[in-house]
Amino acid sequence: MFPSIDVFDEDEKADHALLEAVADWCDRYTPLVALDGKDGLFLDITGCAHLFGGEEVMLRNILARLGQMGFDVRGAISSSPGLSWAVGRFGSGGVIAGEEMADVLGVLPVQALRLDEGMIASLNKLGLKRIADLLAMPRAPLARRFGAQLLLRLDQALGMNEEAISPRRPVAALSAERQLAEPIQAEEHILSMAGDIASSLKLSLEARGLGGRVFELVLFRVDGRVFRLAAGTSRPLRDPRRIAGLFAERLNAVHDELDAGFGFELLRLNVLQHDTFDVLQNDFDGQGAKETSLSDFIDKVSARLGSDCLQVYRLRQSHIPERAEMLTPAISAKGEKQQAKGGETEYSFTPRSDRPLRLLRRPERMESFAATIPDGPPQRFRWRHVVHDVIRAEGPERISPEWWLDDDNVEERDYFRLESDTGRLFWIFRLGRHNAGKPTTWRMHGFFA
Amino acid sequence: MAGNATAQDAIFTLREQIAKMEGKALPAAVAAGQADLAARGTQDQRARLPFGIPVFDEALEGGLILDAITEVRSLSMYDAGAATGFALSLASSVEARESGPVLWIADSLLACESGVPYVSGIARFGVDPTAVFHASPRKLDDALWLAEAALTSGAFAATILEIHGNPKAFGLTESRRLNLRAKAAGRPLLLLRHAGEEEASSASFRLLVKPAPALRRRLPDGTMLGGSIGHPVFQLTLEKSRNPAPLSFLLEWNPHDRQFHLAAEPGPSALSWQRPAHPGTQLSASADRQDRPQALGAVVAFERAS
Repeated sequence: MFPSIDVFDEDEKADHALLEAVADWCDRYTPLVALDGKDGLFLDITGCAHLFGGEEVMLRNILARLGQMGFDVRGAISSSPGLSWAVGRFGSGGVIAGEEMADVLGVLPVQALRLDEGMIASLNKLGLKRIADLLAMPRAPLARRFGAQLLLRLDQALGMNEEAISPRRPVAALSAERQLAEPIQAEEHILSMAGDIASSLKLSLEARGLGGRVFELVLFRVDGRVFRLAAGTSRPLRDPRRIAGLFAERLNAVHDELDAGFGFELLRLNVLQHDTFDVLQNDFDGQGAKETSLSDFIDKVSARLGSDCLQVYRLRQSHIPERAEMLTPAISAKGEKQQAKGGETEYSFTPRSDRPLRLLRRPERMESFAATIPDGPPQRFRWRHVVHDVIRAEGPERISPEWWLDDDNVEERDYFRLESDTGRLFWIFRLGRHNAGKPTTWRMHGFFA
Repeated sequence: MAGNATAQDAIFTLREQIAKMEGKALPAAVAAGQADLAARGTQDQRARLPFGIPVFDEALEGGLILDAITEVRSLSMYDAGAATGFALSLASSVEARESGPVLWIADSLLACESGVPYVSGIARFGVDPTAVFHASPRKLDDALWLAEAALTSGAFAATILEIHGNPKAFGLTESRRLNLRAKAAGRPLLLLRHAGEEEASSASFRLLVKPAPALRRRLPDGTMLGGSIGHPVFQLTLEKSRNPAPLSFLLEWNPHDRQFHLAAEPGPSALSWQRPAHPGTQLSASADRQDRPQALGAVVAFERAS
């Protein structure tokens, strides 16, 4: 009995969140980090090790730093994920060179091959306890007896069969980072650092003829928390000052959520989406400057208030009033427009009859009284508990449902323009055909000037 | 006497400073005192948007100022259509003069109460809907920030800021701030106040919009089509201007020509019902002016008559 041990129920969600957080932290070593079950991480460090002083040093660095955070960690570096898994969990860890792979693997128990329990039990029953026992066996009988899974795992561990890990995040097309000796906390320091990183990124963007459309600033806090701020632009961008400006707005927006704590020790700027960058020559009438200031404004607003805040109108081919318009985020619309320039022209259509200036989001039920002709407009109606007297009316304008989109039971609408005694102009419609056996109802839909 | 003269001089100087800060023409007394400087032009040379209607333009001293706030006010949410229409017609006139899109900063309450600006309606109203940006900020703070950023960027021909009522967060300080931005950028800001009271602000003009019965549709031969509903007509009252008496006009907007027409002869103030009953008064009642004393609270119920 150990009275000092506290017993808790397993909290899978929290464990997973912790593992995710550790994986976020590991992003500093490589962008390719994958989760492995409940308690493991795969890091694909191909081409990264030299940045951290070689594989030995890197492994020691990772283990030591995670150890300082209070985790009990094992790790191994080898040329296959399977072998690293085996050595990390069942062996002594460390870096395994290519030529000693079979020797290292041989001494490990068969459990190190990531096999299911049943297979391990039957292997053990036959006396095959270590992987060396399996390696000594002829392959064909093994496959016949235990299926292809065993050999696949064996080959994967020995690096003879390629095994891909699935990284958690898409790999950025381009990224640049800055490791800081002294952690920074202040917003202006973060921004100036972001500008510095952006200027080093500018060269790579220029070399490829690209400009970024979505940037992501990753802030690694000293205690291991990672913040990600993404900011989009309405057109490809590579000017460091404007990139930093985007994040200035973004930082303003997330002001309270971004807890700098003891400061950030590593900043990385990723280009998540990019486009070809058209170099513009300034013209004399200042039209170019106006375009730039407009897209600047769009970027600023989208970074601060979200991309849904600023929208532009798009027309659609529909006679149903609420379907004829669509609001799309201005930040994405600009790019679409440029794409559409070469090909088809944008659809634009102005209806022949009058349309209201303001349209209710959904038509509201109203009561109508005293029509002079049975299927005519009302002489008086009540909407939102207020009675309005009608002086003049125009209509009807019949709009039939779109049978190719709607169900059969959608009814046609007869629209009327009504002028009340106060001079207000309303747009109402009757739902359903008069005298069709079903009762008709009236709806308020919009307002004219 | 000498002390009096010094005091007068000090007052002149202060007036001059205030006038400079507010971007207005110098007060008459100061201007007279600086007769030598008058030649260089104390008249303000700011860009103006004329309505093309002599009486109205005269009252506005040449038209709406294009680098300042113009407030458009409506009395109730039911008049949202008319207020929207008038603001859009102003934006359309500005857009015709200066290139650039129009930014509509919407109010979230208005969107629920009276819907959102509708694209086909805007197109029929004489504004290119593809050049209209629609912003829907969640809070008033965001709306003010948007308006300021839009004015600073100078990318928009006109910015329309829609608010409802008289929010506390949008007071004299904020409106002055926006006015300065508008002046620096040389772009107009149209403040569209739905269901709002008169309020001191930095707006150069304030117009009260009420819906008015539309004229009938004009037939090609010049006659009117009976029973039809023609172009929109607004009943405008010039509430705040340099003009001492509030003037009232009926203006018809022709969306095809993008032009205002006078729908009826200019009359006395539409606020005449607020005047004292005694017909003998010659001077306009102070009730109509900006600096009238604020009534305490709103009338929710009248006293019992019996």
